[in-house]
Amino acid sequence: MDEDNKITLGNSKKQVIETEVPMGTVHSAAIEPYRIRLFVEDEVVKDAEITIGVNHRGVERIMEGLPVEKANSLTEKICGICSNSHIWNSVLVAEKALGIEVPERAQNIRIITEELERLHSHLLYLAHGNEVLGHETFSMRLFYIRETVMELLRMIGGNRVQYGVPIIGGVRPRAELNQMKIQKIQEGMNLLEEKISDFAERFVSDPMIMSRITGVGTLKKEDALRLATSGPTLRATGVAVDIRRDMKEYDPFEFDVITQDDGDVKSNLLVRVLENLESIKIIRQAVNHLPEGKITNRSWDMQDTPITKSYIEVPRGKLYHSYALEEGRVRHSIVRTPSIANIGAMQYACIGSHITDAQLAVVQCDPCFTCTDRAIQIIQL
Amino acid sequence: MTIVDSLIALIAVIGTLIVAFVVSVWLPGVERKFIHARIQQRIGPPISTPGLMSPIKFFFKEIIKPNSPMPRLYNSLPLIGIIITIFLLIIIMPQLYPLAAFSSVIALVGLLKIEEILYMFMGSLSKSVLSLNMPFPDVVKGAKHPDVPRSFVEELSSMRAFRLIAFGSFPIYLAIFVPVAMAGSIFLGDIVAYQQFNGPVLFSLAGILGAVVYFIGFMILLNEYPFSILKTKADVIEGPLLEYASKSRAYVYISRGILMFVLACIFSTLFLGLPPNILSWTILLNILVALIFTILMAILSAFSPIFTFKQFYPVVTGVSILGILAIMVSFL
Repeated sequence: MDEDNKITLGNSKKQVIETEVPMGTVHSAAIEPYRIRLFVEDEVVKDAEITIGVNHRGVERIMEGLPVEKANSLTEKICGICSNSHIWNSVLVAEKALGIEVPERAQNIRIITEELERLHSHLLYLAHGNEVLGHETFSMRLFYIRETVMELLRMIGGNRVQYGVPIIGGVRPRAELNQMKIQKIQEGMNLLEEKISDFAERFVSDPMIMSRITGVGTLKKEDALRLATSGPTLRATGVAVDIRRDMKEYDPFEFDVITQDDGDVKSNLLVRVLENLESIKIIRQAVNHLPEGKITNRSWDMQDTPITKSYIEVPRGKLYHSYALEEGRVRHSIVRTPSIANIGAMQYACIGSHITDAQLAVVQCDPCFTCTDRAIQIIQL
Repeated sequence: MTIVDSLIALIAVIGTLIVAFVVSVWLPGVERKFIHARIQQRIGPPISTPGLMSPIKFFFKEIIKPNSPMPRLYNSLPLIGIIITIFLLIIIMPQLYPLAAFSSVIALVGLLKIEEILYMFMGSLSKSVLSLNMPFPDVVKGAKHPDVPRSFVEELSSMRAFRLIAFGSFPIYLAIFVPVAMAGSIFLGDIVAYQQFNGPVLFSLAGILGAVVYFIGFMILLNEYPFSILKTKADVIEGPLLEYASKSRAYVYISRGILMFVLACIFSTLFLGLPPNILSWTILLNILVALIFTILMAILSAFSPIFTFKQFYPVVTGVSILGILAIMVSFL
């Protein structure tokens, strides 16, 4: 990105801006309702402002006072893409607060589901990214590759979205993996590895695509850290931070933290492509070393607990859930999705890009605004 | 020319126009169903949908007043586009060659320019609800840059159309002048006659180079991927065409189909010496050229991302240089 086009954070109002191009909150280029104001000069974005807040559903408010099991299943409705991440983290809060040990077999099944979800989320991201690039053929092919993952998720959880696998103390009985299911997962991973590798090869060897994505929407490492960016968006700037490294659930598995150095659209896309291969590696380990035994620990008692926090690494970054328990019911529930941390990065990445690339710069951070709307402020017009 | 001759010429012109219309309604379907859908491993729409059934459907839709400062003018622009395209077809027909002033390359270029300018007007007259008119309380205390003049996304299309008029259409005009240089005349009758005696321009080095340049120009003029910055999905969506609904939208679809056929016929006339004429079997070759152009364009567009100006400028510059080279070779 041109250095002159960069605006120092917090000093943006000193710039003289030629024109504003407001888009949204409803705009056919955006798959979710959000407002973006692009301040442009000769079609080059000088500054950007993203506003969300039209998708608020008040999930935390509804969770207040619900029995913890019901509240957990409600969290699954926060996101249609990473539904398992939400219910898993919500269940982890209860397990952490109540000191519940989860059987090893259940841990592995949870990891398999979560990594399958990461695969489907990243493949969706890549497909959408290619659609924004205008490359419909690649977009379609990625959707086809994703179908394998969706079918595996349906096999495990019974649904293509919202599989409801984790419950307090383990996983749901229908998520138990028999030999036939294990074989299907193994075959699916072989197929996915082959297809994703083929796609990656085609993708990086296409000069037109490389020209469109190299050096576009650049976010430097220091800016990413200053903006508290999270997940693959942060790793695309060269920062090797992945909470999975600190999660005890991932201790038995070997995987690499993927990073790229440039922080542009190319780096973001490549990080996700390579993370897919790491997810396949984790799933293979989890399936090949699936311990025998029960999948649910029923021997626990409900008790009142203070506010307990849990962080996990989900496809878009760091997900936070916390609540307290009172007579088996949820109190003071808070959810924070990774996209809230990445909105600053999205705005910043637009600066210096051509206006056609602005949407790409936003999409490269893998936004999920509908899940991010956790609070609203009502303004009287 | 006797009255009978004039009558036959008139019938030939009308007949050719009918053939053009019939062929043009299938070309978008061929592009979408047989090429894009095949490459993308999906079923795709029925072949008649994009060019024929969609316009019919839109003809019977509720007429919605577009969000435009001059809605009638805005709505009439696609119809004007169709009329210009029909004129383009008429002037390349052999029946018009006796009226030399009307059937020259200058008239051809002039009409193509008007066709391009229409997009600029469309963009500046479209004020969609997607941008400025969407009520949202974002100009509040604390918002960034509260006093900045606002614009519509379609205005970007208008500005892009202006840039395309300035430089994007270089390739097609340079390619058109390759046969002119070889035949030594700007009149289409002379260019066709030259090829009847000396063989098609396409079968020479300059002709091959010119054909490549013409094809790129053909794609730019049709705003096809990767040259569709005028209506890229990422920001301006449909661009100048965004506010068209009902009958006007039907005209947009028809206009594009006819333009695909007419531009292919211009190529046949200038590079093969085969003007469209219902009274000759060579009209089948015109249809074949239109089909080949459509298929090639669809294949190229299926494997390309949309170019921004960063990619657009070098490509157009490179192709224009090739066009100049073709003209220079044609003088040898």
